[in-house]
Amino acid sequence: MRKRLMIVMAGASLLLAAVPVWAHHAFAAEFDAKKPVKLEGKVTKMEWINPHAWIHIDVKNADGTMTNWMIEGGTPNTLLRRGFTKDSLAIGTEVVVDGYQAKDGSFRANGRDITFTDGRKLFLGSNNANEGAPYQEPEKK
Amino acid sequence: MGSRLFASLVAATLAAAPIFCQPTRAPKALAAKAWTSPRTADGHPDLEGVWTNATITPFERPREYSQHLVLTDAEVKAVEQEAAESRVDRPPPPGDPGGYNQFWFDRGTTVVATRRSSLVIDPADGRVPPLMPEAQKRQEAARTYARMHPADGPEDRSLAERCLLWGTAGPPMMPGPYNNNYQIVQGRGYVAILVEMIHDVRRIPTDGNPHLAKNIRQWMGDPRGHWEGDTLVVDTTNFTDKTHYRGADENLHLIERFRRVDPDTLLYEFTVDDPTAFTRPWTAEIPMTRSTGSVFEYACHEGNYALDDILRGARREERQGSR
Repeated sequence: MRKRLMIVMAGASLLLAAVPVWAHHAFAAEFDAKKPVKLEGKVTKMEWINPHAWIHIDVKNADGTMTNWMIEGGTPNTLLRRGFTKDSLAIGTEVVVDGYQAKDGSFRANGRDITFTDGRKLFLGSNNANEGAPYQEPEKK
Repeated sequence: MGSRLFASLVAATLAAAPIFCQPTRAPKALAAKAWTSPRTADGHPDLEGVWTNATITPFERPREYSQHLVLTDAEVKAVEQEAAESRVDRPPPPGDPGGYNQFWFDRGTTVVATRRSSLVIDPADGRVPPLMPEAQKRQEAARTYARMHPADGPEDRSLAERCLLWGTAGPPMMPGPYNNNYQIVQGRGYVAILVEMIHDVRRIPTDGNPHLAKNIRQWMGDPRGHWEGDTLVVDTTNFTDKTHYRGADENLHLIERFRRVDPDTLLYEFTVDDPTAFTRPWTAEIPMTRSTGSVFEYACHEGNYALDDILRGARREERQGSR
């Protein structure tokens, strides 16, 4: 029991060294940790670009007005390798975003956690991080 | 860990058949079967294809593993299990805006095939040697400057944020958070490596011509390749002062070795030789695995809104006096 615990603990410390620190530095410069946002809205556009994909959503404010937010994501290349395309997130889909607002005060936030309204994560398929999986043409309806 | 287990690990490592004729470096798992690489038209080993270097093996060996060169089966399982469990979305620590969902990342799921406990293999403790005092001072000065001027202008941000050059492209080529893909193409008198992050091509002449004159500097250095048996050896010099790979300077002399050890494995090894930056040369080994997919375009410059946001955010904080 003790030996197994030691292996697991050793494994954990083996991995801590692998997490890149650079990523957090850039996010901290772009987004304000003191301005958390929780947004619910309909997708109006999917910007399928590098270095970051941006999901545009129309969010209804408390006063009934509408604001279009841009939510920053990662690289679309990873999603493409998992079999998702630009059209996988249909216009009009309702999503919930947990993130932080941009430091410049604009209606931009990082998509720290993006889910459907029922809590399911977006872009989940197999969790097989097989970089370079063959790109599959989406099925024509 | 018991001394008996440690002794058997050492014995296993030393018993491994050498690949580069240096017994302490030979990966036991990969040397198991003799295999001859197919050849290109000019008789050299065929290294062509798309290769990926994604791995969960850490670059440097954690201190607890200081003499522990190779992981046991149980440890590999535990480490890979731990990695799988870490790929779960979690709220960030307080004061940290966090990043993105795990579905955006592609760091790999397995340790390297050799099961080494770190990618650094020399020095023997698996850790990068210390920097020379001048290099250390330079790094500290850069850090101090960055604290005081985090975003006066684009030049204060990293080359990666500016979409100029990604740290993982190097050279040397390093695993990163995603898009860990490289395509090798061989022609007569050159080998070319297309790097996905962020759309660089390293064109490596193998025609025997010497390096560029010393006053000509290139951001990815000036490479020259030659074959030693079945190993492609790439010698790169003439770096600029714009990149500092782990503290290296423009005197960096990088030696990379590529050898295809089985149909799906390209053994990549690099030695950092930079006497003005590091107290001694050091070496890392990263087995690369064949990918069945393509390199996708990473047109970093096409929508780099993030850099705008960072600069505007800094200007706003200045106006508000919050910095």
